[in-house]
Amino acid sequence: MTESNFSLKKIEISVSEAEKRTGRNAMNMQETYTAYLIETRSVEHSDGQSVLTDSLWRRCSAFEWLRNYLLVYYPHIVVPPLPEKRAEFVWHKLSADNMDPDFVERRRIGLENFLLRLASHPILCRDKIFYLFLTQEGNWKETVNETGFQLKADSRLKALNATFRVKNPDKRFIELKHYSDELQSVISHLLRVRARVADRLYGVYKVHGNYGRVFSEWSAIEKEMGDGLQSAGHHMDVYASSIDDILEDEEHYADQLKEYLFYAEALRAVCRKHELMQYDLEMAAQDLASKKQQCEELATGGELFSIWGVTTQLFGQETPEQREARIKMLEEQIKEGEQQLKSKNLEGREFVKNAWADIERFKEQKNHDLKEALISYAVMQISMCKKGIQVWTNAKECFSKM
Amino acid sequence: MSGGPPKALPSTGPQSLRDMPHPLAGSSSEEAVGGDSTPSPDLLTARSFGDKDLILPNGGTPAGTASPASSSSLLNRLQLDDDVDGETRDLFVTVDDPKKHVCTMETYITYRITTKSTRVEFDLPEYSVRRRYQDFDWLRNKLEESQPTHLIPPLPEKFVVKGVVDRFSEEFVETRRKALDKFLKRITDHPVLSFNEHFNVFLTAKDLNAHKKQGMALLTRVGESVKHVAGGYKLRSRPLEFAAIGEYLDTFALKLGTIDRIAQRIIKEEIEYLVELREYGPVYSTWSALEGELAEPLEGVSACIGSCSAALEELTDDTTEDFLPVLREYILYSDSMKSVLKKRDHVQAEYEAKLEAVALRKEERPKVPADVEKCQDRMECFNADLKADMERWQNNKRQDFRQLLMGMADKNIQYYEKCLMAWESIIPLLQEKQEDK
Repeated sequence: MTESNFSLKKIEISVSEAEKRTGRNAMNMQETYTAYLIETRSVEHSDGQSVLTDSLWRRCSAFEWLRNYLLVYYPHIVVPPLPEKRAEFVWHKLSADNMDPDFVERRRIGLENFLLRLASHPILCRDKIFYLFLTQEGNWKETVNETGFQLKADSRLKALNATFRVKNPDKRFIELKHYSDELQSVISHLLRVRARVADRLYGVYKVHGNYGRVFSEWSAIEKEMGDGLQSAGHHMDVYASSIDDILEDEEHYADQLKEYLFYAEALRAVCRKHELMQYDLEMAAQDLASKKQQCEELATGGELFSIWGVTTQLFGQETPEQREARIKMLEEQIKEGEQQLKSKNLEGREFVKNAWADIERFKEQKNHDLKEALISYAVMQISMCKKGIQVWTNAKECFSKM
Repeated sequence: MSGGPPKALPSTGPQSLRDMPHPLAGSSSEEAVGGDSTPSPDLLTARSFGDKDLILPNGGTPAGTASPASSSSLLNRLQLDDDVDGETRDLFVTVDDPKKHVCTMETYITYRITTKSTRVEFDLPEYSVRRRYQDFDWLRNKLEESQPTHLIPPLPEKFVVKGVVDRFSEEFVETRRKALDKFLKRITDHPVLSFNEHFNVFLTAKDLNAHKKQGMALLTRVGESVKHVAGGYKLRSRPLEFAAIGEYLDTFALKLGTIDRIAQRIIKEEIEYLVELREYGPVYSTWSALEGELAEPLEGVSACIGSCSAALEELTDDTTEDFLPVLREYILYSDSMKSVLKKRDHVQAEYEAKLEAVALRKEERPKVPADVEKCQDRMECFNADLKADMERWQNNKRQDFRQLLMGMADKNIQYYEKCLMAWESIIPLLQEKQEDK
């Protein structure tokens, strides 16, 4: 499969296996990590059959590298998030252990989802590094490093500074940042409470299991009532054990919410980039303005009161030649500055345009996905209710035979 | 009047009957009114007596089939009997209309007791009196005194032990009313107890306190003699059936105790679940306020969770008000039965001791002395009364528990049905495509 054939319609990606491995890390210390098998299949047009074209193992860190690279090279894109590294928002029965097989399994699904998101993104799917991630077994990390993406990454400090000092960011980005903050807060809250709800629901169901035992014991001393009690007790046991599957299914819903929780961070990253660019622009404009002012002062012979005027007074006069030279230098700088400002402006506008296009795409995706998630949640609840009705109806029938 | 082994009495005794005073009992309104499960004690005159269109056959289909929601009515029980000929009932008693009385010294609740009867023991065909808990307590004590060979039904607990429950809250008063009604109905259904003078006085006297003060001592012969049985006689051997009953009651009470604890635990877990749900639902609303296209779906989910919370609260309330009290009643019942069994043991022990004493006396007349004969009589009476009552009790117990447990199942089914309806109704809302994007 060549790069040119690389398009979302023609390939199927799956993260089909997860394996615990041990190895030695950079400091020659033994470590345990999980590796994931990524399989890529190309779908033949004629019969829809898929052929395995690539198959390789990647560990977690490789996924992180891929994402970080994409963040640097596509700052205007809302880059899909990775699944959580540590199990959070767990309810008590679920293990918070990262090596727990259920967690590893959910992680595997999450990573697969990540790759599928990339593959279905109109721009990201064409990225070469992504392509190589799926196909280049060895030296992929070196290849990524060679892009120098780590150097190109904006420093956190710079970004923070820009956030505080930017004067005129695009209003839409301010709103978007506000929205992503709120979204993150509300989904966190939701996930926390949902975990507690799951805990309590588990308790309710499990206590009913005790009925099973006591009905059985009671039935032993009864004559006519015995059979009815005994069989009803059995249904209570069924009821109590049904909660395990129910809550396992609900974890899938929680995972869907979590993805959008992490997407909030990706949204913020785009906003931050805009703020950075805007700040840069503002600084450049400010710089240009001050240079122009300098120039003007020098040209008018320092009559305008300014720091420059004062210092020249203090430190002695300069010759007209010197002054000329300085003015000339400034004029050149101003010319350069104007050019830069122009290109920065253009860049900024391009960024805003492209970013906003992707944000609109993201919004639609989000609305669609979350609606689907809510529907599947409702379906789960319906199924749970139907099971409940079934069990209690069976129990009622047993009681009626007492 | 009971003066010996129970005779064939002209009326009552367990027989197949439909529990006619549904609305009198005031607790079966859920049957007719869709979904409304809070009974109203004031539906007194809705139906008339003798309405036989709903007679159920002997050993027929169980109580719960009358209506899907009839289960919560404790009084909706059917008494099925092995006797094929069901005679007409001639005594109907109902407890309803609780009222609060505020006096200088105290505040208390009275209940209206309505009696309708064609029995000769009643001067009027109908009576309506008001009684308070104290009066029921008095009645029960009198019955225990005067009918020691019979099982007297239990009263609901006098004092509220657990938690800080408001004695005058609607729920508490209603729970108590149901229990008191059941108490009187059990007596009414008893072929011997229902003819007791104290019971009659309780149902009919305008001023019960005056009667109490007179200290009516219409004790029966058997009652009198049993009362004076001293303890301290050792029992030789308990007849098998009574030993079996004793063992049964021990285990029975134990199991009921366990079920009570489980039920309480379930309620506790459900309440905690409810607390979390109450926080969970509104978060969807908060989220909805942030969104555009998702606002309605999220709000819908929030409302749905709200409906489920309400349904859950109903479930826990019902369990507390209907399920637990009946369990506790039967535990009390077992306790009082055990003490009657003990009394029976004493009577037997006395007889055996006397018999032994006679056997040892040298100057023995061939005829057995009168007092030993009296003892034997007493013992045999007691045994017979108790046996009959035990059978009746076993039968009623079976009906009561069948109904109670079916009721519990019903309440759970209703809860899930309500939740199901809520979730099913928002699916179309969630799937709705929006025109404006």
